[in-house]
Amino acid sequence: MFALVDVNNMYVSCERVFRPSLIGRPVVVLSNNDGACIARSNEAKDLGVRMAQPWFEVRHLERSAGLIALSANFELYGDMSSRMMSLAAAYAPRQEIYSIDECFLDFDGMPGDRVAVGCDLRAKVLRWTGLPTSVGFGATKTLAKLANHVAKTADRKPSSYPHALAQVCDLGQLPAPALEAVMQATEVGNVWGIGHKTTARLNQGGIHSVLDLVRADATILRRQFSVVIEKTILELRGTPCMEVNDAPAANQQIMCSRSFGSPVTELPELVEVVSQFASQVARKLREQGCVAGAVQVFITTSSYRQQDRHHAPSATLPLPHPSADTRVLVSAAVRALRSIYRPGFNYVKAGVMLVDLQSPGQVQDTLDLFGADEPGPPPAQGRTGLMSAMDALNERFGRQAVTVASATRKDGPSAHASRQERRSPRYTTRLEEIVTVRA
Amino acid sequence: MSSPSSPRSSVAISFGSPASESGVTRLDLNDILVRHPQAAFLMRIAGDSMRQAGVDDGDLALVDRAQTASHGQVVIAIVNDEFVCRRLHRRGGDVRLQSADPAYPDWVPGDGEELQIWGVVTHVIRPLAA
Repeated sequence: MFALVDVNNMYVSCERVFRPSLIGRPVVVLSNNDGACIARSNEAKDLGVRMAQPWFEVRHLERSAGLIALSANFELYGDMSSRMMSLAAAYAPRQEIYSIDECFLDFDGMPGDRVAVGCDLRAKVLRWTGLPTSVGFGATKTLAKLANHVAKTADRKPSSYPHALAQVCDLGQLPAPALEAVMQATEVGNVWGIGHKTTARLNQGGIHSVLDLVRADATILRRQFSVVIEKTILELRGTPCMEVNDAPAANQQIMCSRSFGSPVTELPELVEVVSQFASQVARKLREQGCVAGAVQVFITTSSYRQQDRHHAPSATLPLPHPSADTRVLVSAAVRALRSIYRPGFNYVKAGVMLVDLQSPGQVQDTLDLFGADEPGPPPAQGRTGLMSAMDALNERFGRQAVTVASATRKDGPSAHASRQERRSPRYTTRLEEIVTVRA
Repeated sequence: MSSPSSPRSSVAISFGSPASESGVTRLDLNDILVRHPQAAFLMRIAGDSMRQAGVDDGDLALVDRAQTASHGQVVIAIVNDEFVCRRLHRRGGDVRLQSADPAYPDWVPGDGEELQIWGVVTHVIRPLAA
């Protein structure tokens, strides 16, 4: 049995913890260059703001509807994420962090009332961090994802699903007719891994609801689509078959994390592991033809080794300029690691996550270097070309070729300044930016 | 609270690794002051209405969201969308926020208003250097 724990409107919720005046008002968070809405409060969703919608398209709502736009504050989101993740981790023997705001918990073999456990988890995260979450339980990851969608939607739109499923939803406890009703009421596009294009094709074939998909012929659909859709159908029927590598990638972030064979205490070993992870995610990033705006690193001790003291820090480092360069990303990851590492702890797991992903079109000068080499998903050759170009630059200008890009950036201070304008303080990672309290 | 910028060093009493059970690790204020790391936040105090309660202008307040505030504790509350530091008075149905200075009136939630406690102030940190 899996649970998916997910923070509602994560970035907006983080901002609201430290700025109560944002509660109840329409709020969006803009991507690193203030180009697009990457998070929306429910009130902003109700105004019709779409995910990833360009800011200029909704800007008029500032005046007409009181819409508030903030620049992304990834240091804050990363720190709040690590607080939430480490609280959630204590509830199950295994946790798989799926993205900055979601994790799977594996409750395999654990007895007890799962809804009560989910409610307790939700209440604890809300009280300790101020972040509202939704919790979904299901026999497979795909069902847990679906349950989470139901929990969240039932909370936001009371007419959509039975009230009892709001906030914490266990699909595994529903009698068959109730489960079918839920699946009937849910559009197929809400299933984990079913994207827009697939949804359109499924709709053409008469498959509109999740229930339609569950009842469809998996073999035929596999021939029309891919083996992934067959696995999705099996998962929706309750048979776990999603291996870690099959799992659909989270939007807007790339992650690599692994548990170690045996606990690691020393910094050099961690540096090696984190560098490897960072190289891997950098490669994936370039395969997608994207750049990242921030790097998150976490390390954790085991909450199950009672004899050990617990330490599960994480740090998120926004890059001065979004990048897809392995060296920039590795060096940022290692810097983040050094800032959180403390000696004397038995670390059992580490992870590197790239967030604030942008396509090169969204970024201007920094990306010109890559843009010429990499139109769209680059072939291996393009990457080699890029890297050798970078090597040449490094040879000529010294080790930190990135400073070349940042020097260029100084020519256009206005773009940079406006990008910072709407960013809230980094309340939990910078002493000079903490909240001031009236006494 | 994570990420001290200079990692503390360990004191090797035995020849083993500092992490081994015989190893000794230097005392760390994080361990001493922070009971609930995921719920610990720092805030800066501005104003002197809580001086008599030991919380002064410019102090660094360590705030714990995990604790349930009880009568007499110094808390961070939200009043009119702003953070304020006050002492919680809660006796029966009488709930109010009190400053430590008689010049400041108590704040009592109005009709339909709810007292919003953000966290409990567990410690203040203040440099003594003149």
